[in-house]
Amino acid sequence: MTILLQALLNGVMNGALIAVPAIGFTAIFAVLRYPNFAIAAYATIGAFAAWWVNVHFGAGILPALLIAFAVAGCVGVSAEETALKPLRGAGALTVAIGSIALNTVLENVVRLFFGNDLRGYDLPLVPDWRFMGLRVGPQQLQSLFFAVVIMGAVFAFLRYTRFGKAMRAVADNPDLARLKGIEPAHIAVMTIFLGAGLAGIGGVLIGLDASIDPMLGFRVLLTVFAAAVLGGLGSIPGAVAGALAIGIAEECALLVVPATYRSAVGFAAILLVLTVRPRGFFGERAN
Amino acid sequence: MMKNHTLNRRHFLGASSLLLGSTALPSFVWAQGEPIKIGTLTPLTGSGGPYGPVMANTVKAVVDEVNAAGGVLGRKIEVISEDDQTNPEAGVRAARKLIDVDAVSAIVGTWASSVTTAVAPLCWESKTFLATVSGADSITELPHQGYLVRTQPNTTLQGRKFGEFAAAEGAKRVFFVSPQTPYAESQFQNITKAVEAAGGETSSLIYDDKKPSYRSEVDEVMRFEPDAIIFGGYTPDTTVMLKELYRAGYQGKKIAFAYAVNEKLVDSVPAEVVEGCYTIAPSSNESSTAYQRLVKLIGVDSPDPYTVQVYDQINLIIMAMAAAGDSSGTAIKDAIRKVSQAADGTKVDNAVDGLKLIAEGKPVNYEGASGPCDFTDKGDISDSSFRYEQVRDGKLTLIKIA
Repeated sequence: MTILLQALLNGVMNGALIAVPAIGFTAIFAVLRYPNFAIAAYATIGAFAAWWVNVHFGAGILPALLIAFAVAGCVGVSAEETALKPLRGAGALTVAIGSIALNTVLENVVRLFFGNDLRGYDLPLVPDWRFMGLRVGPQQLQSLFFAVVIMGAVFAFLRYTRFGKAMRAVADNPDLARLKGIEPAHIAVMTIFLGAGLAGIGGVLIGLDASIDPMLGFRVLLTVFAAAVLGGLGSIPGAVAGALAIGIAEECALLVVPATYRSAVGFAAILLVLTVRPRGFFGERAN
Repeated sequence: MMKNHTLNRRHFLGASSLLLGSTALPSFVWAQGEPIKIGTLTPLTGSGGPYGPVMANTVKAVVDEVNAAGGVLGRKIEVISEDDQTNPEAGVRAARKLIDVDAVSAIVGTWASSVTTAVAPLCWESKTFLATVSGADSITELPHQGYLVRTQPNTTLQGRKFGEFAAAEGAKRVFFVSPQTPYAESQFQNITKAVEAAGGETSSLIYDDKKPSYRSEVDEVMRFEPDAIIFGGYTPDTTVMLKELYRAGYQGKKIAFAYAVNEKLVDSVPAEVVEGCYTIAPSSNESSTAYQRLVKLIGVDSPDPYTVQVYDQINLIIMAMAAAGDSSGTAIKDAIRKVSQAADGTKVDNAVDGLKLIAEGKPVNYEGASGPCDFTDKGDISDSSFRYEQVRDGKLTLIKIA
């Protein structure tokens, strides 16, 4: 029982980390209607930006997260405008493939400046707390807290701000939104900034847990993609639910299958859910 | 118009024959027949890129020395260097060129196991000798008919050393964690053999190294209550694993490959995470005279293990040709053990001295810079020294070479 509880706990922690970039991914899909695989590079760039201010200027975790959001967001917008926007006319598949290429380019730009070495944040590592046979890391709790706060902020933004409402309107029906005087180009830029920025924050949270290198984002890309698909592409609550489901499924599966099959378990879960419910948990339309 | 054309062609022919002549010049100057050709196939780019260039230069330096002392079998040796790009496909193309175009007798220095595995069949099919620094067990299992030797200890030997070290440190419950690698299985078996021989117990966990965190994996490790953990992974995943174990409150011994727990890892994590961790690596025999000659020859203070091994390989191949009285790949195959481990042989540490003794009809036994360089029938080295280090006060500190 304790073992199962521990696995559930670990699953929630991991899922929460994946949820942040998954929201970014699904938000971009909701508005622009294509899967942007370059979010892996945005996560990496966010992690490195936070590392830079943390190690060189002694920035704490909160300012580092803000910097990561801003830098990844700006890089995302400029990369989108220069590389991906011209491809939009050719269809979603072309843009998706373009984003894979863009991801490789950005990852190697990071490599050019920072090299292939592993890095860690200049923050103390704290042993776990133990209670009732369970263990939980203060750092993981902190990351979980940040993840929850950020998700809350994103929900509030979408629900209560003009931009957020406009974004939802465009995601819902771009033509109707245009008739109402919403400029889709502005919304697209805003969405990319938000999506890439969230990926950047996700990169920092993952880097806090593990370590930072140019492959950081790419390693979790498939899981992030899977979380978004599972929750229903384009649905933000869906991305959160999908990420938690994948996290929990992966951790609990370790109790019965060898750890090597961890990724396979996540994907088996997707296969199962999509067979029964092709639009994912919260997807409004099946594509 | 016609005339011009003819004239141009004459000019062209004249110029090209001059060019051709100049490339042929060296062999006229030597006037001792065709040079013996040896190829280096090292990674000049790719993940082996830091090692390959030094390896190729080391082979050239040894050959220059031998040529200056009169060559072998009355002929000079010519080294042709190619780049395998740490990539099997590029390795095969380069090996084809060395074998078909240059007709080399031997290829030395293949680094990545994947490259060696791809190149080896070309070598034994064309009766070209291959000396490699790759470690995967499967390489010497190939049907190479004796045309292959390696100077890198295989994982069977490395696994045994890890197990023996853990047992010698008093560990009774040893846990092996590793990502899925071609050698994880055989390494664990050999660790188990050594630990059980000392009355201990082992268990293992193979993890997916693409995951950002290993909390549940670490929970499983901790349930075994190990007093020593052996890490079979590379730097990125070992970093995460070490952090997780620290968070989980693991207090026992930690033993890892030196290529995983390296300076970079030690610098990138908080000191307490990796403090006390032992590292093990196949080691060059730094006290040998061959090693000291090598350092002087290439002017590098502490040459990497692959450079040291390729130095031994080229010395052995040159002496094998002399001992066989023939420079073909088959001759090298048949004679290499005569110069590497002759029981009654005079110990030598370089080819120039060895060639003199062979010319006098005396047997030689090469004692190399990487170790004794004695080969089993399969082409593995039978023993090697290992270097044991420990992280003390945040620095990798040498404990012993044994």
